Amino acid sequence: MEKIIETSALTYAYRAGSSKEVRALQNINMAVHKGEILAITGQNGSGKSTLARHFNGLLTPTSGRVLVNGLSTDDRNNIGEIRKKVGMVFQNPDNQLVSSIVEEDIAFGPENLGLPQSEIIERVDWALHILNLEELRKETPHNLSAGQKQQVAIAGVLAMKPECIILDEPTAHLDPRGRREVLESSLRLNREEGITLVLLTHFMNEVIHCSRMLIMDSGTVKVEGSPREVFLQGDEQIEKLKQMGLDYPVASRLAAGLNREGFNLPSDIIHHEEFIASLCQLTS
Amino acid sequence: MELTKNITLGVYLPGESAVHRLDPRTKIISVTLLIVLLLLARSYLAFGLVALFLAGMVYIAKIPPGYALRGLKPMLPVLILMWVFQLFLYQAPGTATLFQWWVFEATEAGLHMGNLIIMRVLFLFSVTTLLTLTTSVVSLTDGLENLLKPLRFIGIPYHELVMTLVIALRFVLILAEELEKIMKAQMARGVAFDRGNFIQKTKKVFPVFLPLFIGAFKRAEELIVAMDARSYTGGKGRTKMKTLRMGRVDFAAAVIMLVFTGIMIYIFTAFKAFI
Repeated sequence: MEKIIETSALTYAYRAGSSKEVRALQNINMAVHKGEILAITGQNGSGKSTLARHFNGLLTPTSGRVLVNGLSTDDRNNIGEIRKKVGMVFQNPDNQLVSSIVEEDIAFGPENLGLPQSEIIERVDWALHILNLEELRKETPHNLSAGQKQQVAIAGVLAMKPECIILDEPTAHLDPRGRREVLESSLRLNREEGITLVLLTHFMNEVIHCSRMLIMDSGTVKVEGSPREVFLQGDEQIEKLKQMGLDYPVASRLAAGLNREGFNLPSDIIHHEEFIASLCQLTS
Repeated sequence: MELTKNITLGVYLPGESAVHRLDPRTKIISVTLLIVLLLLARSYLAFGLVALFLAGMVYIAKIPPGYALRGLKPMLPVLILMWVFQLFLYQAPGTATLFQWWVFEATEAGLHMGNLIIMRVLFLFSVTTLLTLTTSVVSLTDGLENLLKPLRFIGIPYHELVMTLVIALRFVLILAEELEKIMKAQMARGVAFDRGNFIQKTKKVFPVFLPLFIGAFKRAEELIVAMDARSYTGGKGRTKMKTLRMGRVDFAAAVIMLVFTGIMIYIFTAFKAFI
């Protein structure tokens, strides 16, 4: 599979070289494959945000290397090209919107790229259309819900036509409805536009929609696999995840509980729908 | 405890009115002109005209009048203080004494001066608020940048200056919200901001501003990272989605401003006293 981002022996330390050095990432070897949705999860301080910031050169490794489409983030001359390819959406929508009008904020990225006017307008229209924000184009972000603001932030990144979008806990500040909307729009970007997604999240019901997941703990990648593999039932695995501060998705937990009571449900259930379907089979 | 409700400066009210559609440069020049006129005005007649003019603009811009006035509310205590100072401290020879209290003497000239100063401050604030209510951050940036372009000849980074100013404006409301949150959190833990004498009240302000400042720095850093991630590298090599173009509305506005300025100058020269 083609790799869009690749890290080799990536180590990062805050205040490197001083006596107060803090190792945030240790010897990370991982890759983001083209077209996939990769979830990175782990408790606060596990290093997932620090790792994500290496993907577009916001941080550069203390040692080791990060390649984006073959370009090293260490070389300042590559940064412009890398930021065009890898966009990033942050946690707090208020702190990443620049303009007081939705369409102008979406135009901010393309304007920075120095694109011709006609193309900027085209891209803004396109991004608004893809995220179903056309009705809000003249609105001011202050009048929008947090979920809508976050969608505007995504549209702003989308308008730069990146190959990959990194979403750094995009739903952490949102209510359940906003969370669902942002997740659905992100998944749609992957499905319909083929954009590679890296989703940093604490929510297991977001992780289950991803094609692959990494679990980070104290600056290293501890678990890697598809959500179905990772959330396979088994006391050992549950204990392992619990130690890293993570829970199973609701459907897996329900199925595991029922199986303990003597029912016989599949041991790799992660989605609600699967759980309901297998319950129905039980009763019939 | 509703701070944000009364904040109108830096807020943008989206709309499609003639005032909204004006070229930002027209608006900025007009506002500058109005500010100069306000600083020169010394008569009730002049301020009355400015009031009428502003009311007209608020009407055309379809801004709810209640909303336009709301922003003035937080300024009232300061204005009253200013008025009292003027009333007692402004002395002009040959004016009648209104009343005396201890060593203070309120004169007729002081009363007029107080009234005029209040109006001046109120209108200065209203004019700038009217600008930000009807002009988005980006078009304000574009307009200012365009007008300040000549500064580049003396090596001033005009784009960066304007960007800073405009982002500051966008954060007025967000920071006010945060201030409200911090104050409410402290009230929930028993701080009574409205009780105590002046010194006691002032002391209570420090624990509020410390978290506010820390929060502001955090926000600033997050915004910088977000702008960085969106390939912002300053003014160089940037293009614009919208080109500024003057239209018929701008021509009409220019005529209106010229006529209004003419009338004001006539009033300045024809009437010397407080009328």
